[in-house]
Amino acid sequence: MVDHSKPAWLTRRAALRLAAASPLAMPAIVRPAHAAGTVKLGCLFSSSGTMANLEGRLNYVARMAADELNAAGGVLGREVEIVVTNPASDWPTYAQLGRQLLQEQKVAALFGCWTSVSRKSVLPVVEQNDGLLFYPLHFEGEENSKNVVYLNSPPASSVLPAVDYLMSADGVSAKRFFMLGSDYVWPRTINKILKGYWKNKGFSESAWTEHYVPFGFSNFQNLVNQIRSFGAAGGGQPIVVLTVVGSSIPDFLREYTNQGIKPTDMPVIGLDMVEADLEGLNTQGLVGTLNCWAYLQNAPGPRNKKFIADWGAYVKKSGAPYSPHTVIDPMVSTYDGVHLWALAAKKAGSFDVPQVRGAFGGLTFPGPSGYTLSMTSENNYVARGVFIGSVNDRQGFDVLWQSKGTPKPVPFSPYS
Amino acid sequence: MRRTGATSTGLPVLGLPMLGLPVLGLPVLGLPVLCLLVLGLLVLGPLTCAGAHAASPPRAAILASLCGEGTRAVLGGLGETLAATPDESASEARWAQRVLQAFSGHALQCAPGDQAFLSDGDRTLDAVTLQPARAPDDSHAPLPSLRARVALAQTQAALALVAARDPAERLAAARTLADHAGGLPPGLPAAALAREHDPRVAAALRVLVAEAGLHAPQVGLRLAAIAALRQDASSATAQRLAALRADTAYVRDPRIATALDRALAHVRFWLRVGDGLALLYNGVSAGSVLFMSAVGLAIIFGLMGVINLAQGEFIMLGAYVTYCVQEALRLVAPAWLDWYPLLAIPVVFTVTGAAGMVIERVVICHLYRRPLMTLLATWAISLLLTNLVRVIFGTQNLRFQTPWYLTGGVRVVGDFLITTNHLFAIAFAVAAFVASLALLRLTPLGLFIRATTQNRGMAGCVGIATRRIDMAAFGFGAGLAGLAGLALSPIYNVNPTMGTGFIIDSFMVVVLGGVGSLLGTALAALGIGLVDVGIEPFYGAVAAKVIALLLIIVLIQWRPQGLIAARGRR
Repeated sequence: MVDHSKPAWLTRRAALRLAAASPLAMPAIVRPAHAAGTVKLGCLFSSSGTMANLEGRLNYVARMAADELNAAGGVLGREVEIVVTNPASDWPTYAQLGRQLLQEQKVAALFGCWTSVSRKSVLPVVEQNDGLLFYPLHFEGEENSKNVVYLNSPPASSVLPAVDYLMSADGVSAKRFFMLGSDYVWPRTINKILKGYWKNKGFSESAWTEHYVPFGFSNFQNLVNQIRSFGAAGGGQPIVVLTVVGSSIPDFLREYTNQGIKPTDMPVIGLDMVEADLEGLNTQGLVGTLNCWAYLQNAPGPRNKKFIADWGAYVKKSGAPYSPHTVIDPMVSTYDGVHLWALAAKKAGSFDVPQVRGAFGGLTFPGPSGYTLSMTSENNYVARGVFIGSVNDRQGFDVLWQSKGTPKPVPFSPYS
Repeated sequence: MRRTGATSTGLPVLGLPMLGLPVLGLPVLGLPVLCLLVLGLLVLGPLTCAGAHAASPPRAAILASLCGEGTRAVLGGLGETLAATPDESASEARWAQRVLQAFSGHALQCAPGDQAFLSDGDRTLDAVTLQPARAPDDSHAPLPSLRARVALAQTQAALALVAARDPAERLAAARTLADHAGGLPPGLPAAALAREHDPRVAAALRVLVAEAGLHAPQVGLRLAAIAALRQDASSATAQRLAALRADTAYVRDPRIATALDRALAHVRFWLRVGDGLALLYNGVSAGSVLFMSAVGLAIIFGLMGVINLAQGEFIMLGAYVTYCVQEALRLVAPAWLDWYPLLAIPVVFTVTGAAGMVIERVVICHLYRRPLMTLLATWAISLLLTNLVRVIFGTQNLRFQTPWYLTGGVRVVGDFLITTNHLFAIAFAVAAFVASLALLRLTPLGLFIRATTQNRGMAGCVGIATRRIDMAAFGFGAGLAGLAGLALSPIYNVNPTMGTGFIIDSFMVVVLGGVGSLLGTALAALGIGLVDVGIEPFYGAVAAKVIALLLIIVLIQWRPQGLIAARGRR
């Protein structure tokens, strides 16, 4: 009985939706390119290489979001189909696969990239083909393309509030800064912005030092030694601003605790650190280490509970090789992105990029983070809430602070 | 309580000027005050024995202040009213330890009406009585801020000094207090010293007591404090001494000035020695990691000439087998869990060795005369193994239990710390080197392997089963790679793709060392490790990689046969 009633109800609702949407959908349907029964969305997330453990999850989240849309009758009467690729953590491959997806698969939008260097390599492709790339990571903010939707926060509404917190009396009144990053555009730009910010606050150049390591770097013995001497040098409370990415994050944290430095001596704020980076670690000695994102797994609210439960169920159903209990910000951002795209397409009544883009202004979506995401017609940035997380001894982040509303995202920092 | 301090979502929220947000609440406003109070309790408790009070009022007040709304008047008065016999103060300290532990672990729940609860696993306890209770639904768990964590660490250490029965715990507490000496009630180290029985803890406390005299009016106490400080030659000490030296008011007495100068020179000398040793240690440890990842390849590629691109996956396989041994021990013999890295050695060697032999028999032995095909076939095997493991275990990093002998380290000189997990890797590499060398030089199998390597045809003629030797050698190489996975599991992330990171480095090491020479492999690994790590502090990690690779290119140009050339016809 139950088995029969649910699909029937869904079909009825789907039929109603289709009927309601058809006048709006007319212009799109007459176009031959979109005459097929499905609409494709392309994913550019690596399932091999140094980014695999993180990016690979996003393919499944995109599918999960598409399943949700399809269960509700699809978008403009079409079923949403996710096309998955594997750029293998190799930056030029992102561009190549992106071109294939746009030109051969005719995808309506791309969802992809983790590192800024991969986004930068896809950027010319989406601009030439007038495609749309939904980018789910927080990033350096020095970019504003009409072909990219920046789903996550620029530094002004993520990194700077977090560093401000550390510099405040409630944080640790940080006075000196050890910046350690992977050697590419995101850490270098973030550090440049931070240096400008500190200069503006009246800090002298001797208050900071910056170091970079290659991608996939794992031997942090020397650097942790250096951090220890930096911490002991005196002149105010030191902190570590960590912008290394991928597998270097757990490697760094392991060496940091192993050498006996405690977050109470010298706190670390890991700007790219997510729940998944803590999976293999014993976080007892890391309690109090911070990160900042637009979503944390411990974000309060029923929408987040539902999302985590949905993800767990989806992992079981699809056999995805990821933990059903770990949810990270870029997953939620990708999920939000798929829904924002669907909302925009519905509003525009079309899958054509210019129309969809035109529909972004005024869109709102209640995301799992508990905040209502919003977009303006000013640019393709998404306004979201801000969380500062503090590592607990159960491989997760507790919410130490969260913003009251969604600060307006401002591209192009005045401090860079 | 604390209704105003919580947001609508029930979370502690602090205002950030950056976003122009109002200050909404300070969840741990009273914490530093509270910490002083608890410390006051510890000092006062043993010294003033003014009869037993009921324990509950102070407990409730401490909880109220942890929950964020402690009235300062109550807090201020508490230190004076609280007086108990030493025994009772120890039990109170144990209670406070439990509560602070819960507070720092986000497990203290505060409910309206001055109630507080501890989540203890699945149970909920009343925080005052520690009896099972049920927390109301509108309770919330305050999270200590970073600043509060410093105070917490200090208070917890002070509590441990009184309450911990294990001397090791008290020693750790004394060390924590040495790191966070600021704001400590002046009488605390002396009071703790008076009660201390364990000589090592007492020694640590005596240093604390001496250092407390650093700002005493008497010159003698100051000199003693400086003498105590110079015993611990760390950069933190150097910084403290230098700050005192710069203070003209402090060095007015010439005796203090000379003592400071001498102490500074002494500390700085040992710091330099320590830095040099640290660099050496890091280099050797990096070299040993390189050697472990290359030693299997040195046999397979060096001796047999098979370009095995699946070598990294054998390392990964070894790490996964180690994980399985750990999980099996957890189920079967939890008491032995801490010894899994040692117990896993034979298992890992056998399993990865067997896997290597199967692969040799099934795939590689058909391709000995076609090197290009071997390259492709082993590449395919590497992808196959990676994805097989991914399907079975998932892509996440595996969680290894870190046994006590593989955590932390021992500070030797200055800031030089011997970290035990790296020491484990070094010892493992040395053992693997000696064992493989012994096997190749001293056993009949080694003799056969060497004979086959040097002249396969002739070896076959004198009756050596060369095919079987190939299989054994391949299995041996794979087993060694598996052991590398075991040795690296406390240092590296263990996930299905971990092997890809090793393959280039290990080929580099084998080629530089001289194909076919185990000693060459060891020398090359050590050399690359030392050069890489030695350059890093001066030019950065990125430049260090570039310079090390340039050096290798130059060396290969100069000695194409590698550092140590193998003899024999190939």
